Amino acid sequence: MTSLRAHDLRLVYKLPRKLSLALRDRRVADGGSSVGGRTAGNTVVALDGVSFDLEAGDRLGLVGTNGAGKTSLLKLLYGIFEPSGGRIERSGRVDALFNIQLGFRPEATGRRNIVLRGLINGWPRAEIDRRMDEIIAFSELGDFIDAPFKSYSQGMAARLAFAIATSFEPEILLMDEWIGAGDPAFQERARQRMEELVAQAGIIVLASHQHSLLKRTCNKILELESGTIKYFGPSAAYFEAQSKP
Amino acid sequence: MINAISGAVADIRKGLGMSGVWVALAHEDVGDAHRRTLLGPAWLLINYLLFAGTFVVIFDDGRTPGFPAYVAVGLLVWLFISDGVSQGIVLFQREQSFIQGTVLPLSIYILRMTMQLVIRAGYALAGCAMILLFFHVMPSVGWLWSILGVMIVLVMMPGLMIICAVAGTVFPDLQFIVGNLIRLGVFLTPVFWVPATAVGLHKIFYHWNPFTYFLEVVRIPIMYGIFPERAFVIAIAATAVTWLTALMLLGIYRKKIVFLL
Repeated sequence: MTSLRAHDLRLVYKLPRKLSLALRDRRVADGGSSVGGRTAGNTVVALDGVSFDLEAGDRLGLVGTNGAGKTSLLKLLYGIFEPSGGRIERSGRVDALFNIQLGFRPEATGRRNIVLRGLINGWPRAEIDRRMDEIIAFSELGDFIDAPFKSYSQGMAARLAFAIATSFEPEILLMDEWIGAGDPAFQERARQRMEELVAQAGIIVLASHQHSLLKRTCNKILELESGTIKYFGPSAAYFEAQSKP
Repeated sequence: MINAISGAVADIRKGLGMSGVWVALAHEDVGDAHRRTLLGPAWLLINYLLFAGTFVVIFDDGRTPGFPAYVAVGLLVWLFISDGVSQGIVLFQREQSFIQGTVLPLSIYILRMTMQLVIRAGYALAGCAMILLFFHVMPSVGWLWSILGVMIVLVMMPGLMIICAVAGTVFPDLQFIVGNLIRLGVFLTPVFWVPATAVGLHKIFYHWNPFTYFLEVVRIPIMYGIFPERAFVIAIAATAVTWLTALMLLGIYRKKIVFLL
């Protein structure tokens, strides 16, 4: 049974004070950029005491201001960061869509990029070949699939990325913000695909500032503030509380 | 430390198991670098021939028998090592988006770069073979030792690149320091000068520059058909020290690199 559990997660790290011969530029921070939370000296507490349980069929919306810790939490759940404390229990195949351009070669065709992206995700070559037509069909790229990736619009790139990531039916899909990309028709198809994933006993974790998207898509909300949980519960109750003056 | 080293070994083992990824990406890298050019990767062969030809024409004073072969083989190994060092020092910085966006083991990037170096060296090797043929240097049984020498260089290189990649991430200024050292390195390593005519600092560098021995394990068997025992011992020892250092560094910094970029 697919599940995702976080127990008292904590992510603390030191801002990299790199060894450098350059004079320090006091206009910019010493390092670290995408993660927020509380800082003390050069130590950042990006997440502290974060616990939640997700079961098959859950669609969790991550909300919070920039720097609240949403991306850090997604990267912890995916395994890019290791927690400084607490533990994560994942039961199910995990895939992530953080940066839609990541892994795409601008000079290679869409078709070749499907192969490369599949290999990077650890899929067997035979499986990639078997899914190729389905991915191309879902991406709606038509003849563009044999054109270089650099000729694609942002929406086309997003469609291809989404088609690849969801073609292998990840049991746990982590997404950061970008799902708003693409035209309304594609967004509707993407929403349907996500519904299918959830119906197949999947879990989706989606970080976004678009409350309308989260309201439509998610059944649970986790709000982060300075790396700690401000709210975790049903999305209906969250948005109801938000709508009150 | 044992935990760190076993973590590094696990990372490398996982990377080796994903050969489909780094082989495919390395081919794309080499193809992309020459995609818009008329001659494509053949430029790698042309560049090597121009480089080697220039050295032979300028530095062959007629006192060293087989000087063109000496330069051709020495340059082949030196370019492989120096390319690996200069690319390795900025490797993790260049792969920042991958490292911060995927769960691929760090060794994937090292193996991808090694594969890229091997592909590029393949073109230079064709140029080297042309020079040897042109100067009537014919294969002999002794050349088999050279194959063993090539294997040692190939084994040493990923370890050296791990050290460079970690050091370049922790100390970014290193890319410029190493860039200058590489430029000097071609003069301090016996690529186009021979130990017999070396004096002063050159003589010191011949003995104390570890890269000397990686060149000699490949070059001496081809030049003289003999087994250079001392060069092999030092090259193998240097490879062991390189890998031990690489495993320690990879083990210590493996999970920190993502925050250092």
